[in-house]
Amino acid sequence: MTDIATRATRRVASPGGRRRLNGGGPRAGTIFAFVIPFFLPFVLFYLVPVGYALWQSVRVVRRTGGQYGTSYTTFGGFEQYTKVFQNDEFWSSVGRIGLFGIVQVPVMLFVALVIALLLDTPLLRLKSVFRITAFMPYAVPGVIAAIMWSYLYSPQLSPVVDLLNGIGLHPDFLGPGAVLWSAANISTWLWTGYNMLIMFSALQSIPQELYEAAKLDGASNWTIAWQIKVPIIAPSIILTTVFSIIGTLQLYAEPAVLRQISSNISSTFTPNMLAYAVASGNNYQQAAAISVVIAVITFVLSFGFMRLTSKRAGL
Amino acid sequence: MSSKVTRFRLAVVAVAASVAVLAGCSSSSPSAKTSATSCAPAKGKVTLQYWNTVPGMDKVVALWNKKNPNIQVETKNISNDQYGILSNALKAGKAPDLSQVGYDELPNLRTQSAFVDASACSAATAAKSKFVPWTWSQTSFGNTGVFALPQDTGPMALYVRSDIFKKYNIAIPTTWDEYAAAAAKLHKADPKLDITFFDPNNAEWFNGLLWQNNAQMYSYSGNKWQVTVASDQSRQVADYWQKLIAGKLVRTDLANGSTQMYAAYQKDQIASYVGAAWGYSMFRDNLPKQAGKWTIVPMPTWGSDGASGDWGGSTVAFMKGSKHLYESVKFNTWLNTDTEALALENQLGGLYPAANAGLQLPALSKGVPYYNNEKIFDVFAASSKKINTSFAWGPTQKTVNLALQDAMAKAAAGSGTLSDALAKAQATALKSMKDQAIPAAAGK
Repeated sequence: MTDIATRATRRVASPGGRRRLNGGGPRAGTIFAFVIPFFLPFVLFYLVPVGYALWQSVRVVRRTGGQYGTSYTTFGGFEQYTKVFQNDEFWSSVGRIGLFGIVQVPVMLFVALVIALLLDTPLLRLKSVFRITAFMPYAVPGVIAAIMWSYLYSPQLSPVVDLLNGIGLHPDFLGPGAVLWSAANISTWLWTGYNMLIMFSALQSIPQELYEAAKLDGASNWTIAWQIKVPIIAPSIILTTVFSIIGTLQLYAEPAVLRQISSNISSTFTPNMLAYAVASGNNYQQAAAISVVIAVITFVLSFGFMRLTSKRAGL
Repeated sequence: MSSKVTRFRLAVVAVAASVAVLAGCSSSSPSAKTSATSCAPAKGKVTLQYWNTVPGMDKVVALWNKKNPNIQVETKNISNDQYGILSNALKAGKAPDLSQVGYDELPNLRTQSAFVDASACSAATAAKSKFVPWTWSQTSFGNTGVFALPQDTGPMALYVRSDIFKKYNIAIPTTWDEYAAAAAKLHKADPKLDITFFDPNNAEWFNGLLWQNNAQMYSYSGNKWQVTVASDQSRQVADYWQKLIAGKLVRTDLANGSTQMYAAYQKDQIASYVGAAWGYSMFRDNLPKQAGKWTIVPMPTWGSDGASGDWGGSTVAFMKGSKHLYESVKFNTWLNTDTEALALENQLGGLYPAANAGLQLPALSKGVPYYNNEKIFDVFAASSKKINTSFAWGPTQKTVNLALQDAMAKAAAGSGTLSDALAKAQATALKSMKDQAIPAAAGK
C-alpha cells in the first residue's frame, strides 16, 4: 500500500526534479548548505582517519645512523599486514573474542527477546516501570559499569564473594578460565536492555488486528509470541545481532578495566587492546594494519550475517 | 542517475580533501635538522613550556615565576597519558621546552629524536656532581651528552610489619635467602599469612629487582644493541620468585597500589612490602590504623656488595625544538637542585629527590611519626648510593615491559615460569627493535 503510494509520488515528482538537478542553478547551493553540516565532519572525522590508517598501514619505519639514529617512514607494501597475519597474539585475541561472541551474543539477545516479549503481553502491569528498569544499565557508561562489577568480582571487597564463601563456594571470578566470562557478564548486563528496547519498539508497531485474527483461529499467547511476533520482528533481531557482532569485535572497556585488578587479562586480550598496546609501543604502522584487519573482519562478518539472514527474513 | 552524479561529485570532493590532509601529514624523508645547538641567552622576556605529571608542580613553578620575571614558565599536567601526549606532540612538532620523562623511557624517546643535547650550556654539564651517580649516568646516556636532568628516584627498601615478625619470633631478613626462609615460616605459622605479594603486572617493580642483582639488560657494541634481558643475573631473580610462587608463599592476585592490596594489608594477611622511597606515604595515608607497626630496613641482598635497586623516578628532559636552551637549563637546574624547590616538590608531590642536596632536606632528615619516628629516609639515602650505575634501559622498554608482564601473569597462573617470561621479554625486545629498525642482536 505505502509502496504503491511512494512509487506514484516518485513518478510524478521525478521529471521536474531531474531537470533542476542536472541544470545546477540556484538549488545546488541550497543542497550544498544542507549537506555540509553532515558532510564536513564525516570527511574530517571518518574518511580522513580511515584514509590515514590505510596509508599508515602500508608504511614501515627505517632509520639512519648510530645507536639511536633518526627514523623515517617509507612505503613497505604489505609488510605490516604480513606481520599481523604472522602474529600469534593477534589470532589468539581474535579466537578469544570469537568464543566470547558465540556465547555472549546469543545469550544476551535471547534474554533481550524474552524480556521484550514479556513486556509486550497484555497481562503485564506496570509496564513502563519494568521497561525502564531493564533499560537502565544502558544509561551507565561502560567504564563505570566495569568498575562497579570489578568490585563485585574482587575477592577482597565483594559482598557477593563473601556471601558465596559463606555457603562454602569459592568462585574465582578473575581466574584465568573465568575472567573472559566475567567480562561477558558485564557486556550482557550493559547491553541487554538496549537490544530489548529495539525489539520492543518493533513489537509495538505490529497491528493489533493480527493478534485478534490469530486468537480467532485459536492461537495461544505462546503461539502468538513465537509464531507471529518473533517472525515479524526478525529484521530487528538481525539488526541487534549485527550491532552485537560489531560491539564484540571492538570489545575494549570491560577487559581493560578488569585488567586493573586481574593479571589474567593480558595486554593483548582483545584485538583492540592489542592494537592499543602496539600503538603505545610507538609502532603506529603495525597498529594501523591491525585496525584495518579488525575493520575488514567486522565488515565481512556483519554483512555476511545480513546476507545470510536477509533472504530468510524477507528483508 | 542525477543523484549518482551528485554522489560522485561529493566523493571526489571527499577524496580530494582527505588526500590534501594526508599530504599534510606525510613527512617521510629523514629531516637533516642536525643544527648545532647554541646556549645563547635570549634578549628580553622568555616563556617556557614545561609538561609534567607531578601534583602541586604548578605551585613550585609559581615560586620560580615570581623570582624570575624574564623567564616565565607555563606548566601542563599530562598525567593521564604522559607518553601518548608527548609522542603526538613530537610528531606534530609541538613538543614543550621541557618535559617529565621516566628514566626507563629515555632511550625510547631518544630513538624518536625527542631530545636536544644541552651540553652546549656549561651550567648543564656542571650539574653532574649535584646528582646521585646512577641518575646522571642515565640522563647523560653514559656521559655522551646532557639530555635531561634527574628529578626524583625510587631507591628500594623493605617495608616490614615488625609486629607480625615479632609475634612469630622471626628475625627481619637481610638477605634474600633469609627472606625466603621467613616466608615459609610465616606461612606455616598462619596459612592465611604471606610475606609479600608478587604483582605480575608490574614489570617496573620486577626490573628494580633485576637491577639490584646487577643484571645488564642492554649494551651497545659492534654497531648493534646487545640484548641480554634473560641474563644469568636476571634468571637468578626469576627463579627465586618462581620458587616462592610455586610454594604458594607469596600472593599473586594483588596489583600494587590497588584497593584490593590495601585490603589485604588491612586484614594482616601480608607481612612485608618490597618498595621504593615514594611508597612511604602509601601506607601512611591508606592504612592509618597500622601506624607504629611498620619499619623500613634495607632491601634483602644477594651478594656481599649490598647492592640495592631503583623502582621509578623521573627526569626533566630537554625537548627538541626548544628555542631557549639557556633559559631551559637555568630553570631545570633550579627545579631539580635548589633546596627550596626540592622541599616543595617533596611536600606537595611526594618526590624523593635525585639531587644530593635533596637527600639532606630537613623534611627528609626527621623521624616519621607513622614509622615509630624512625629516620626512614636515611635507609633510602643509603640505598640510593648503592644502586648500580651502569644499568641501562632499552629503546623499546614499554613494549618489553608489557610482554614481560603478560608472560609473568601466565607464570603466576601456573603456565610457564618466570624464567620463560624473561625469555619472552628477550624475544620481544629483539622483535620490537627490528620493527623500529633499530639494529639489535642477542648478546652474550
